[in-house]
Amino acid sequence: MSNDPNFTGPSTEELVFDASEARRRRKPSRMVRLGDHMKREWQLYLMLLPTILWLVIFLYKPMYGLQIAFKDYSIFRGISASPWVGFEHFHTLFNNDQFLRALRNTIIMSFYGLMFGFPVPIMLALMFNEVLNQTFKKSVQTIVYLPHFISSVIIAGIVITAFSPSAGIVNTIIGWFGVEPIYFLTKPEWFRPIFVGTGIWQEAGFQSIVYLAAIAGVSPTLYESAVVDGASRWQMIWKITVPSILPTIIIMLIIRIGNILEISFEMIILLYQPATYETADVVNTFIYRQGLQGGQYDFAAAAGLFNAVVAFTLVMTANTISKRYSRTSLW
Amino acid sequence: MRKLPLSLVMLATTAMTAPAFADGHLQIVDEPTELTIHMHWPRAQGYGVGGDASQIYPVEQAARDMTGISLIDETFGKNTTDSAEAMNLLIAAGDMPDIVGGHLIQQPVNEYGPQGAFVPLNDLVAEHAPNIQAFWDSHPGLQEAISAYDGNYYYIPYLPDGEFGRAWYIRQDWLDALGLEQPQNVDELYEVMVAFRDQDPNGNGLADEVPYFARQWEEVNRLLTLWDARSSGSDTYHDFYVNEAGQVVHPYAQDAYMVGLSNIAKWYEEGLIDAEIFTRGSSSRDYLLGENLGGITHDWFASTSGYNAALADKVEGFNFVPFLPPASVSGVRMEEHRRIPIKPDGWAISYAAADPVTVVKYFDFWFTEEGRLLSNFGVEGRTWDMVDGEPVYKPEVLNSDQAVNSQMYLEGAQIQRGYWQDYRYEWQWTAEAAREGIELYSANDLLVDQFLGVAFNEDEQAIYDRYWPSLRTYMLERNQAWILGSGDVEADWDDYIETLNDMGYQVVLDVMNSAYARQYG
Repeated sequence: MSNDPNFTGPSTEELVFDASEARRRRKPSRMVRLGDHMKREWQLYLMLLPTILWLVIFLYKPMYGLQIAFKDYSIFRGISASPWVGFEHFHTLFNNDQFLRALRNTIIMSFYGLMFGFPVPIMLALMFNEVLNQTFKKSVQTIVYLPHFISSVIIAGIVITAFSPSAGIVNTIIGWFGVEPIYFLTKPEWFRPIFVGTGIWQEAGFQSIVYLAAIAGVSPTLYESAVVDGASRWQMIWKITVPSILPTIIIMLIIRIGNILEISFEMIILLYQPATYETADVVNTFIYRQGLQGGQYDFAAAAGLFNAVVAFTLVMTANTISKRYSRTSLW
Repeated sequence: MRKLPLSLVMLATTAMTAPAFADGHLQIVDEPTELTIHMHWPRAQGYGVGGDASQIYPVEQAARDMTGISLIDETFGKNTTDSAEAMNLLIAAGDMPDIVGGHLIQQPVNEYGPQGAFVPLNDLVAEHAPNIQAFWDSHPGLQEAISAYDGNYYYIPYLPDGEFGRAWYIRQDWLDALGLEQPQNVDELYEVMVAFRDQDPNGNGLADEVPYFARQWEEVNRLLTLWDARSSGSDTYHDFYVNEAGQVVHPYAQDAYMVGLSNIAKWYEEGLIDAEIFTRGSSSRDYLLGENLGGITHDWFASTSGYNAALADKVEGFNFVPFLPPASVSGVRMEEHRRIPIKPDGWAISYAAADPVTVVKYFDFWFTEEGRLLSNFGVEGRTWDMVDGEPVYKPEVLNSDQAVNSQMYLEGAQIQRGYWQDYRYEWQWTAEAAREGIELYSANDLLVDQFLGVAFNEDEQAIYDRYWPSLRTYMLERNQAWILGSGDVEADWDDYIETLNDMGYQVVLDVMNSAYARQYG
């Protein structure tokens, strides 16, 4: 790589020149280049270090423990001394109707969450962007961000009270229209709307921040020229803002799809009842009841691993599709 | 010697208040000895006042003086309040202190004891712990109940005293207002509930009374006993029980359950049971009594009797009293709930203990007369005095703003070491209404035998773990659905039993019964 094939007896001057040129042009090995770069920009690498360490310690090292999904694990014997059992835990998992039901519920609820929950923060961000009165804008933003900072336990308490048949605001309102009170939280058919709605109420405001940031990055010259061309506000939203933040939207969508099975199960545990398991029980609550409450870490790890594999497949698929059709992708 | 200055100060203060310790008849070791301890329980994550190891409990100081043994805190998982999680961390880390104690240790010690993590206590106790052995001898069946599947037992439990836990409570002032008597059987109970619903006993002109309510929705199933069915065999909800034939069965798979539940569903539909019982949660008692809405409940003697004093100013004439369980359709009065005689809490000796004999002698100390008083009432002269041979709390303890048990937790008494509770401790601060109720309940033969659980071997455990959680889920789903009126228990019954069998109910019963026979047979 470093030798010039056309080398033909040069003069001293040429030699000196060539030598320095060669030094400049020579492609050093990747490691050497990385080393040089590290030496030069060591401050940057130093700042990177904590994150790398965090990744290694908290995300890569625990992967070693995934093997307990294939073992009859005893915490006292330890991971390496526990005997292998192959796919037994997975076999148990897939022979359990309640697991299959939980899987179905997880997918349905995530899908609802995606379908109804994903567009809301985008719409909120677009609306915030159009509000001119700063005081009004700031107050509304604070109000919609607020639920994000409240603990799930409190949110669940609010939801239970709001949907209470005797004192709840929801039943009071539908009572004005002559509807009999409904005991919502014991009705399987109502669980999903309540759960998805609560999720949107809690997170939509906060999630809109990333879109607001993206909108702030759109060049003002585009809007200026649009105004000159006589575009309406509506046209500016659809022809400038939305296309400009589309890459952000797609990235967020891919991330959301990756987390599709990571439904916020603490909220479900707080809201569900045996009466609503039929529609409310998701993979994580199933694992919680089946595995962790009984100390079956191996079984829970198998279910968790399955969850992760499905999520990984979904992200890869979404990423590939996105790359092919929109040229926006995570990697 | 660690923490010398503080120890000296403590020593000096205790020496002043309790000079009687010096005689040395309880001394276990010649030289002062230190043992390390893991002590994790809901009130304190660590062995020291409020979990702070640098503040030595007065009780611990007294025990040091009496026995010569000092416990040094080495509690794992102080950053979590979940004791089971802390225990798992401790076992996974493998570096165990001499003594492992605290909340919910039975399952882990019985699982990991046979694997070598804990020392079996049978022979040690028989040889070196005469007071613990005397307790086992005078309480047959309990040692078997805490044994692991290998026949050994691995921990000394916290042994609660007293018999009754929950009781039936009714608004006597409502009964009086409507000119009714306390219901003596299931039919009278029904009539009283209907009267509470329809005749406006709170006098506010609204039909807002809730005849039967409970803080735990599971207490709705307690009504099953009125139709000779069962809701649980122990103080844990939905537990198995031992039937008349001596077989372990589940209450929710019995024919009596079908009858009982269809009646509960009817009562629920008629508005006799709190419509929101499933979601109202732990504050329902405060709310429904405080708002003068609730009529009857099934709850703990001591805490429920406190409302008469608490609500005296708020609700005029408020009088919530315990009454005898109404007789069932076949005439049986049954109080299904009682205090379980052994708790899964206590302490065990780990494999790391260099001298298990000393540790077991130390465990035995807490079962001596002095040790038992110390573990129940705190240090004599400090929190209590002996009056006519009875330990009596000092007035400042009884009249404090803080509950007596909370004060004891800070003294190092009533904490979850392996000890035998003394009911005289609780009796002294039980409200008058509850005392009368307990005497009423004691005078009648109400209690049923408890199912104290079984210890599975590894194969049985695997079968139980595979089938039981799903079965339980299914049972509870149907239970709530039937009460809420989606589905009719009588119409669905055959399908329900068939589904249970398909899901492995019989297999679970088989392992339950084989373990039961091995353990108690």
